[in-house]
Amino acid sequence: MGNKRAHFGIARATCALGLVATLLTGCGSDGDSGGGVTKLTFAASTFGDPGRGPLLTKWLDEFNQSQTKVQVSAAAVPYPTFGQTVLTQMGSGKGPDLIRFDMPEFEAASDAGLVAPLDKVIDAGKYDLLKQPDQFMVHDGVRHGVIFEASNYAMFYNADLIPTPPTTYEQFTSTAKSLTKGDVFGLAFRQTEAEEAGVWQDIFNYVYGFGGAWSDGKNLTINSPENLKGLQAFKDLYDANVIPRGADAATFRRMFAEGKVGMELNNGGYVTATRGQNAKLNFNVAPIPFPVRKQGAILAPIVINEASEGKDEAGTFIKWALEPQNQVKLQEILGASSVATTTQRSAEALKATPFLPVFDGLTETSLPQIVLGFEAKTPDIRKVVVQNVVAALQGKADLKSALDRAQQQASELVR
Amino acid sequence: MTVVEQTGAPKTTTPGRPRRRPSPLGSKWTPYLFLAPAALFILVFQVVPLIQEVYLSFTRTRLLNPTRSEWVGLDNFNRIFGDPEFHRTLLITVVYVITCVVVAIGAGLAVALLLNKKFRGRGVARALVTVPWAAPGIAVALIATWMLNAQYGIVNRFLDAVGLGVPGGAILDSSRYALPAVLATTIWQLFPFTSVVLLSALQSVPQDLNEAATVDGAGRWATFRAVTWQVIKPTVGLLALLMTIWSLRRFELIWLMTKGGPVGATETLVIDLYSQAFDSKELGSAAAIGMVGVVISLIVIIGSRLVARAVEKGDVR
Repeated sequence: MGNKRAHFGIARATCALGLVATLLTGCGSDGDSGGGVTKLTFAASTFGDPGRGPLLTKWLDEFNQSQTKVQVSAAAVPYPTFGQTVLTQMGSGKGPDLIRFDMPEFEAASDAGLVAPLDKVIDAGKYDLLKQPDQFMVHDGVRHGVIFEASNYAMFYNADLIPTPPTTYEQFTSTAKSLTKGDVFGLAFRQTEAEEAGVWQDIFNYVYGFGGAWSDGKNLTINSPENLKGLQAFKDLYDANVIPRGADAATFRRMFAEGKVGMELNNGGYVTATRGQNAKLNFNVAPIPFPVRKQGAILAPIVINEASEGKDEAGTFIKWALEPQNQVKLQEILGASSVATTTQRSAEALKATPFLPVFDGLTETSLPQIVLGFEAKTPDIRKVVVQNVVAALQGKADLKSALDRAQQQASELVR
Repeated sequence: MTVVEQTGAPKTTTPGRPRRRPSPLGSKWTPYLFLAPAALFILVFQVVPLIQEVYLSFTRTRLLNPTRSEWVGLDNFNRIFGDPEFHRTLLITVVYVITCVVVAIGAGLAVALLLNKKFRGRGVARALVTVPWAAPGIAVALIATWMLNAQYGIVNRFLDAVGLGVPGGAILDSSRYALPAVLATTIWQLFPFTSVVLLSALQSVPQDLNEAATVDGAGRWATFRAVTWQVIKPTVGLLALLMTIWSLRRFELIWLMTKGGPVGATETLVIDLYSQAFDSKELGSAAAIGMVGVVISLIVIIGSRLVARAVEKGDVR
């Protein structure tokens, strides 16, 4: 009898310990509110950017100092894994309260109902929103985001190496070839499968710059003759060995900052980061010299997580961010990017960065890097296209067959 | 004379001292009690997820809406087995696993045989050889990636200097050289473990048997086969099983070095699983790939048990 009692005693103690352990595990919550202050997290890969990250954090601090009931803290998730990490969290009903997405992930999250509608949170009519980028924030009459950053793609070039920028594709290739010597490369772009999102951004400029498009709005046109022409130009440059093959964006951007890369196609958001790496670099910007003046644009919306328990407070932050003086500050931090509303560049900013009007002049011809008509499927189409283009670069298939295959695979995905 | 019949040992109690409770450790339930935490852990973190995975593999479930799943029967399996890229993934997995097991055990055995001999600095050598195994996998992958970097990597500089440079220098971005590079890094990290384990097995080989074989005129190879191999054989079998299972499951090193690329050249089952789950966001397909992995692991385990039994019976030498 005593034996049994002892056994039950041990069993009870074990259960109690287990229960305490379970409860303690469950107590690791995010502590959304404490002392009447709602604490929110804002996830953006830009918080980790050299140059811009610390300034953005200061901008957040200004918001926090202006509030007594809401505090927003920055969550820097590295760009290469940003979409995957945040979407996985959101799919499980968790994740940050506020998110700065890239367009493909924004579309996928909106389509899956993971993003809170903003119509009741902000009155869009009150703000002078930039029409071209803002149109992509609304789906079937429902607003899912507000532009945090809109950044057009242009050609960055080292002005010491290239006194006069190329204005035609032929000049572009010959400049790239003539500059490539020893440790210096004429050009750099992303070309490895490990940087799928980055490769997509880079080939986008070649496709649209040669008159192509990923779709006509109703059907995919991945293997169209124009796309083939644009991507053949991309492949020709790869084959010509004028780029540092195998180098990822972080590496070749550092090389550009060190004067070891002559040109790269990049977005306005990278002006501050380039200066952050080498303030003395003498670089300039010109429109991409491809046959058609059409290029990609990074549209980065800020959204509220549908699973957030502080949607109203997150709305407070977005409203604060849209105030004119905060938009101006944000634009100055983001460099050559635009923000949600129309803002004037200051004389100081124009003096410090004389090529700002080049970026601003490209807004009307810039497109978000999504597949129009198949927005929510963009990440899946991107994967298929990038895999096949990389296969062609690797010599595993000729480019036309690779694009035909991509067309077939992507069509099956969207069927 | 009065005889007092004693029917049993008198109960002796020490006055003023409380009766000791019997130790619960003697209970027949004690082993179960000690096993319970481990069993609970396995149940919660292995059995339940496995059951969930089996269920998921028969559904169409998206990562973005995991609660909305649709029963699709064998569709996921039909799709993955009908996909030539999955066949390539299976082939790469087999090549990766077999190469890892054979070379890691072979190299480990060679190093263990060397370290089993007496020479100056043997203690230091034994300590040094464990360093790659002790290094965290993530650090190993990042160091290897830097060493193989097309622009700054020491491997490219060396290969260029001896006239064996890879065109463009991008070893990890070449569908021809990426898998050998990943294999070389994996084996570099694995072989110290096999060498340490085999060294301890070698130390249990009776020296008098070796000496007797030598006296009988047996050469080195014959002595190794007849004496040493017979003693270390069970250890090699166990190592082969462990290496196979670990190699089937290895993720971080391959992912950090190549993410399964380029063009699927290093895509093993676990990389494909991860890619399906988190890139394509198709949890159903990912679970089906996971089930294929489970079946392969089971075949390996059952196969190794059968081989071990045959060896015990003497059917296999």
